Amino acid sequence: MVDMDKKVMARKMGRLIRSIWIFNWFNSCGVTELLPVVASIYDMERFGLIVVDNPKHADVLIVGGYQTEKSIKRVIRIYNQMPEPKAVMALGSCTITGGMYWDSYNTIKRLSDYIPVTIYVPGCPPRPEAVFQAVGMIFEHVNQLKKEVKGK
Amino acid sequence: MSWEEIIKDYNPTIQRERRIWVNIPKDKVYDILQNLKNEGFEHLSSLSVTDWIDEGKFEITYHLWSYKFKVLLTVKTKIDREEAKIKSIYPIYDRSAWIHEREMHELFGIEFIGNPDLSPLFLEDWNEKPPFRKDFDWREYVRSKYYNKENEREKAYWEVWLK
Amino acid sequence: MKDKEIGFYELPFGPAHSGSGNFMVKLKVDGERVVEARADPGYLHRGFEKLMEYRTPLQNAVVADRVCILEPLSWDLVHAEAVDEIMGWDIPERAKYIRVILAEFTRIQSHLIWFSGGSMATGFQTGFMIGIGYRDYILEHIFEPVTGARVYPTGYIRPGGVRWDLPKDFDKKCYNVLKKIEKAVEDFDKLLFSNPVFKERTQGVGVLSKEDAIRLGATGPIIRASGIETDVRRDDPYEIYDELEFNIPVMDEGDAYSRFFIGRMEIVESMKIIRQAMERMPRGEYSLKVNPFMKMKKGESYARIEAARGEAAIYMVSTGDRKPYRVKIRGPSFLHLIPVLEFLLKDQQIADVPTIYWSMNTCPADMDR
Ligand code: SF4
Repeated sequence: MVDMDKKVMARKMGRLIRSIWIFNWFNSCGVTELLPVVASIYDMERFGLIVVDNPKHADVLIVGGYQTEKSIKRVIRIYNQMPEPKAVMALGSCTITGGMYWDSYNTIKRLSDYIPVTIYVPGCPPRPEAVFQAVGMIFEHVNQLKKEVKGK
Repeated sequence: MSWEEIIKDYNPTIQRERRIWVNIPKDKVYDILQNLKNEGFEHLSSLSVTDWIDEGKFEITYHLWSYKFKVLLTVKTKIDREEAKIKSIYPIYDRSAWIHEREMHELFGIEFIGNPDLSPLFLEDWNEKPPFRKDFDWREYVRSKYYNKENEREKAYWEVWLK
Repeated sequence: MKDKEIGFYELPFGPAHSGSGNFMVKLKVDGERVVEARADPGYLHRGFEKLMEYRTPLQNAVVADRVCILEPLSWDLVHAEAVDEIMGWDIPERAKYIRVILAEFTRIQSHLIWFSGGSMATGFQTGFMIGIGYRDYILEHIFEPVTGARVYPTGYIRPGGVRWDLPKDFDKKCYNVLKKIEKAVEDFDKLLFSNPVFKERTQGVGVLSKEDAIRLGATGPIIRASGIETDVRRDDPYEIYDELEFNIPVMDEGDAYSRFFIGRMEIVESMKIIRQAMERMPRGEYSLKVNPFMKMKKGESYARIEAARGEAAIYMVSTGDRKPYRVKIRGPSFLHLIPVLEFLLKDQQIADVPTIYWSMNTCPADMDR
């Protein structure tokens, strides 16, 4: 995915294990089910996740839901601004296949044709629990990387 | 003149309570809307266009609501598809008409004469036909733009295609 | 003396800004003052009106709730109304009551999000947490058991009635949730509406006069905050609203504070409506039998409802086919976010921009459609 030495990457990604800083590309389904994640009830700060306003500070880009021809350009720009290592979490079936809008003339159909996606979270919209599970999987992914490096 | 009198000559149909529809020829629309506005139809609820492709016409509908009489009056008029031009009602309904006309200009390609700003609203770098016209084959466009015939996953969109 | 050529520069507000949603306003600023604002929508444009031309009414019921994510059931309702009117259906009494109850709950939860956003914009994190927290009661205890999903009801309110009956213990849940909402209103009164800091930041900001409100096509809470008593539920009643008793809150100031406060009073009225509807709800059928392959009648209809953000309407034309010939959706935010916002932002301080933006009760999704 990212052409970087695995060792360097594992080390850099190591900091993700403690806390993930999220840049949230607010979009339709992203916003409604992420609000409970951010605010009370599910409160993601308990797990060290916070939303930042600046892509340069972010580790993970959350792309919530369908992207139109206009907004995908901004997503790519934001993605390029984020420093390595970075991960992309795509929410909703719209990012996977186009979902509801499979025949819409203005939405893109699969996000990984445009930017590399680390993890897809299905659902319409995905429940907050699913988002947390995805976060857990990102942690695991980092652990795995670390182990691989150590094993060598 | 009350509003009933203004539209009396054009055979308005009463669909139900508070819903009145009336067809008006193209060149009278501007004056009639002006009079209706003065009589109390102050709120332009919406402005829409229907593409009657078989007839070769565009139908423009103005949905007016009166806070005073509590009636929704729909004024409809037809213009030629080839020559899709009509006088803008921007001077009557101001910014609320402007934004509706700007949208319709983008989606249907209708020229509203007298509207100060008809720049594109939703679409960036669009150079096909106006997308909401009936002769813009939306599904064909989507299929050739987004779905790849060679791709195992997307082949189905080429083989089974609902019309 | 200032050199005009050098004095102006352009500042984009959005689209990637946690306070703006998926929407952009280009602000031309002179120092701290906004000289001109120009909205740039289109980040969420999916072409619903055309999508609906390719689908039958029952399929459209599912599509319709995607129009605005923050109040999906209102959009379900207006779509169902448009189809009902074309078909000339008189739906069962019970279905009408269920529709009204759910529509009012949708309004409450949408207003709670609105207050959360408003608190964020005025730098008040606690309000954000509270609003979203209370909203979750509605999602968890009303929408999920009734419609099957927390956010999107997937066409629960469909042409001809509703998809299935209310669950057995709905009464209990409903009254429990209403109690919680009462608490929420109390909390917001204490923390937000009587808070001097919040008042300072919203009172007298973004004043919209009566004439301008009409001229720019404002509806819903925005126009009522400017002193015009109008409400689709009363002026153009649909379902059973003409049998229910409720007040229409109106305020005269037209500033950001009064807009928020109108929302707060509407929550109270909505609770009143729900209580009445719960008491009077009859037993019986909840839907007509609808054939999924039916042909629509020839004709047209214009259905309007009072959604949380203002007047939501669908104009539907049918030529007697299985699918509608043309659907036009009128979103309230389309007018609030473009003409009204552009007008209000003029000559304001940059620091007030988020406050004004949030006081419009925005939903960029129903603007772009
Ligand atoms: S997956 Fe569902 S909730 Fe998410 S963007 Fe698509 S339609 Fe909206």
